Amino acid sequence: MQLYASTGGKGGTGKSTFAVLYAAKLMREGKKVVLCDCDVECPNDHILLNIKLSENKPIYRNFPVIDREKCVSCGICSKVCRENAILWVKGRPPIIFKDKCTGCGACWLSCPYQAIDKQKEKVGELYESKVSDRLYLVSGFSNPGVSETGPIVRETRVSCLKLAEKIGADVVIIDTSPGAHCNVIQALIGVKTAYVVTEPTPLGAHDAKLILSLLRKMKIPSKIVLNKATIGERSLIEKISKEYNVPMAVEIPYSEELIRAYIHGQLLEADNFL
Amino acid sequence: MKIVIASGKGGTGKSMISSSLSLLFSQEFLTVACDCDVDAPNLGLWLGVERYEKKEVVSINEKASILQAKCDNCGKCYEFCPIGAIGRKNGKYYVNPLVCEGCGVCQIVCPRNAVLLEKTPTGEIRETNTKWGFTLVSGQVYPGETGSGKMVQQLRQRAEEHSYEVMILDSAAGIGCPVIASITGCDFAVLVAEPTQTSISDLHRVLHIVNHFNIPYGVVINKYDLDLNFSRSLEEEFRQKILGKIPYDTHVIDSIVNLRPVVVSECKATDALKKLYGSLKKILVIHQNGSIP
Repeated sequence: MQLYASTGGKGGTGKSTFAVLYAAKLMREGKKVVLCDCDVECPNDHILLNIKLSENKPIYRNFPVIDREKCVSCGICSKVCRENAILWVKGRPPIIFKDKCTGCGACWLSCPYQAIDKQKEKVGELYESKVSDRLYLVSGFSNPGVSETGPIVRETRVSCLKLAEKIGADVVIIDTSPGAHCNVIQALIGVKTAYVVTEPTPLGAHDAKLILSLLRKMKIPSKIVLNKATIGERSLIEKISKEYNVPMAVEIPYSEELIRAYIHGQLLEADNFL
Repeated sequence: MKIVIASGKGGTGKSMISSSLSLLFSQEFLTVACDCDVDAPNLGLWLGVERYEKKEVVSINEKASILQAKCDNCGKCYEFCPIGAIGRKNGKYYVNPLVCEGCGVCQIVCPRNAVLLEKTPTGEIRETNTKWGFTLVSGQVYPGETGSGKMVQQLRQRAEEHSYEVMILDSAAGIGCPVIASITGCDFAVLVAEPTQTSISDLHRVLHIVNHFNIPYGVVINKYDLDLNFSRSLEEEFRQKILGKIPYDTHVIDSIVNLRPVVVSECKATDALKKLYGSLKKILVIHQNGSIP
């Protein structure tokens, strides 16, 4: 099974568009594909595929709750919390600020009195959809307000790989969020080839460099996908392709037809672009 | 007054609008621009910044490493790491520094004191006086480092050191920690949407955050003429909250290729951006005289 990613650093360069177009191309070649929407803060692949998401599975995380009867107000939990999510005033039981808590467990693991309970809370949802005999979609959704989304990405990716194995998929395409931080890194783990989707502008070039630096550190071979290739300044991206020694593998022209297909959820049928 | 520009979806035009609004505000008010997209900061490009006068490396997070000489391969760190940052190879355990967020759980559970936590350089905070006459504060998390939410907090503290009447905060895409850190404590949110289902879906997700913090907001439709039906449905949904509509205009691409804000050129998009500025100025005046309705 091949594991590919569609990423790019900058938002709106066409990561999801490429992921869907590429999935469609692989299907035409007779392959069985699982598309994995790891942009859990703003997942959109289901909209591009024009499908209704149905069966969902909750994603949980543990958060700490102080057991006032057992707590001796020693303050150790506050000292070990590196998110500064626990406020402790000498002689008083600590107060937990849930907005800052990532649920890492440092507090309950270090409490000498077992006075911190773990409380399971829903932080997101996972949807598995069968789009056709050859295409499945796994989408992760973070609950709005949840700040730490890396673990939700991880859960989405792991579930997707399990499904891919179960149905005997040939290819998994991971669609990442923009940026280059923890939620993108979690999505890229184990990927065999990353497609860096960019556009021929200084913004596209700047952010492509950032993601290529990350991919280099992660030792993931990469290819550039130049979207909206017929507008802007393509030499900017050609320069990066040379600088990072990464091939410009795919070009997608700027096309109103493609924009219409995007808007109306008809990308799967847009077979003349890849 | 602090105005945050957000959208959920990436590439809807946040930095394009932020750069033009900063320039327009700076002509009448003391303005500071703050690029809160610390993963992929683009506001400096839109403002034609070639070099930053001040640069400071900041260290926010720590990263764990395993002292192999002390480690007896019990695997507790592997079992308890909340984000899967510990790997196993040939019976030995090691930390993947790209995944580790420095929570310290491995150090707490290690019975042999074999885990070291060390500060690492997380990124840079940069500052410069732009050629347009106002200050830009910008940050960059180094690729592979974590802690963008905390980086945004530090960046905002730095921006607060300047005196200003208007601060424009250009947020990242998404609705996670860096975006929450950008939106919290702002006086007004400008939410940018395109007339597409994906953008509208993401607009509703970012709206959860804005409403959670009880921040007054308005909506700007960018490239509104890409699909008039979706534009209309946005207008019907948000009615008086619609602050402006910007047409698709190839001058926008020319502007970014030439590294200057759109409003420097005369074009349809500039007219729309000036109208948007006019609506925001009214809100600013009300804000200066009390609270926003």
